[in-house]
Amino acid sequence: MTEPLMLDVRAELRKGGEPLPNILKAVGSLAPGQALRLIAPFEPVPLYAVLGRKGFTHTATRRSDGHWEVLFVPGGAPSAAEPPANGDCWPQPRMFLDNRGLQPPEPMVRILEALEQLGPGQVIEALNERDPLFLYPELQARGAAIRAERTDAGIRLLIRRAESVP
Amino acid sequence: MVTLSNRHSRWTLPMLACALVNFLAAQGLMLGGASWPWQSVSADGTLAAVHLLVIGWLLMLMLAALFQFVPVITARALPSQRLALATFIALEAGLAGMVCGFFGLGHSPALTLALPVGGSAVVLGVALALWNLSVPLLGTRGLTLPGRMLLSAECFLVLTLGLGLTFTLAFAVPSLTPSLAPLLYAVGDHALAGLGGWFTLSAMGVSYKLLPMFMLAPEDRGLTGDVVHLLASLGFALLIGAGLARTWTGSHWLRILQSSGEVAVVIAIAIFLWDILRIYRARQRPLLEAHNRAAVGAFALLGLSAVGTIGLSATGRLEQDAPLLVYGAVFGWLGGLGLTQLYKIIPFLTWLSRYGQRLGREPVPRVQDLVCESRAYRWFALYFLGVLLTSVAVLRDETVGLRFALAWVALATLGLIREYWRAWRAHYPGICQARSRPTPIIADP
Repeated sequence: MTEPLMLDVRAELRKGGEPLPNILKAVGSLAPGQALRLIAPFEPVPLYAVLGRKGFTHTATRRSDGHWEVLFVPGGAPSAAEPPANGDCWPQPRMFLDNRGLQPPEPMVRILEALEQLGPGQVIEALNERDPLFLYPELQARGAAIRAERTDAGIRLLIRRAESVP
Repeated sequence: MVTLSNRHSRWTLPMLACALVNFLAAQGLMLGGASWPWQSVSADGTLAAVHLLVIGWLLMLMLAALFQFVPVITARALPSQRLALATFIALEAGLAGMVCGFFGLGHSPALTLALPVGGSAVVLGVALALWNLSVPLLGTRGLTLPGRMLLSAECFLVLTLGLGLTFTLAFAVPSLTPSLAPLLYAVGDHALAGLGGWFTLSAMGVSYKLLPMFMLAPEDRGLTGDVVHLLASLGFALLIGAGLARTWTGSHWLRILQSSGEVAVVIAIAIFLWDILRIYRARQRPLLEAHNRAAVGAFALLGLSAVGTIGLSATGRLEQDAPLLVYGAVFGWLGGLGLTQLYKIIPFLTWLSRYGQRLGREPVPRVQDLVCESRAYRWFALYFLGVLLTSVAVLRDETVGLRFALAWVALATLGLIREYWRAWRAHYPGICQARSRPTPIIADP
């Protein structure tokens, strides 16, 4: 059986870089049936949805140094319905923001800036360390719908832009 | 699901402005010679200055901050913004009455009556605030350490107010309260309940939230935080409880209980300062912002106050030099921490109200663009140095030096107020540069 491909994105993140292109490149270079072992300084929760839709299942382990090792194994059915937002039919998120490790109010700024890039009715998913209490009034003022839930990884937000953008 | 309906408190900024005016008014009385350190601690001017400081400055500041802060730690909105306004009005009007009452003591019966009336208004304002803050605190399951510390601190606030109201009645209408007369000797316990039990515990709780939040350090303080909370609460309770009991009976055991309380408080402060040092060291942001860098001065003065208490207690000068300790706590630890945190709170709230609706739609300044840290450092350094110089001048009985040091502190306070004003008026970000759009860490391919 082929050994999993190892990808360590810690150095890239330390430099403030964006690791997703490298992750997707690595996924594209996997041999049939080969798994990807990803090492990151935090649990890459939003990535689960991205690779889940490509048919990968994941197993995450926190190492003794506090960093995370996640094994993505191919072969599962693409999880088209992931992530389940609620009972209603919200479209799949167009964008994922991992805002953990950012100083307030930077998570709020990123979410609002990202929201303005969306089309009407589109959704973004964000993972915050803290409940962004000052964000909610701004989202409501813009007519955006919000779903928030507390998860082990942080506060998971689904934000849907208004159908008619003011 | 998480509560979604939280708004920032609209009364916080007006309350903070009012608190700063009260702070300046108290410093005016001190500088003008109407109050301690020129007058005795029981002089009318001193009583007026002390209440301007603790109610007008520190209490107004703390409640204004908590109206903003409690929803953050509980993820629950305040029950009523109108009650926050009512608190604001009752505190300021009540304080004005109290100050008039102090200056009228023994001269004008009408003015003297303003003392209990003003005191009652303050009590009413605080009672409304306590309700407004306690509903979200008590309604939160699994309340974190800062919230638990705030609840303990609130108990001491109730005690402080109860004692304060008793004093005002005993002062203004002695015939009504003959059995409470011994309590007039418990002014020290009243001060301890206010400055220690209420302000210090709540400032510790707020520090445990704000510092890690803006330095990106671990918020969970584990057993250390619980020990600080327990020791400080128990210590202040013992100190005050035994002190009050001693006004009626002179039992030897009460003195032992008081000493035990003193030791517990000093240990709690030592552990707290060590834990704060750990937060600074464990921060993920290498660059410290001005409010957190300057806050080191306040923490240092908290440590110095604790060491000073031990030294004065050991040399039997605690009672004699107690006013100096109160000065150190009010200007150094609590006032200093307040001034430093205002340097974040005011720009942050200003930024939200000025630019919140424009975020993402057009380039806007960042919060840190609203301040000029290099200017603020200078004023913070001058302020803390001035507080130290004042303490030294009082200890050495240096009249000229003391006047100079008090003027120094007032000047530094004015300098800081000018910086807050500039942040609020968005004076600095004229040179703001357009920000690039963010790159999401993970975007859907």
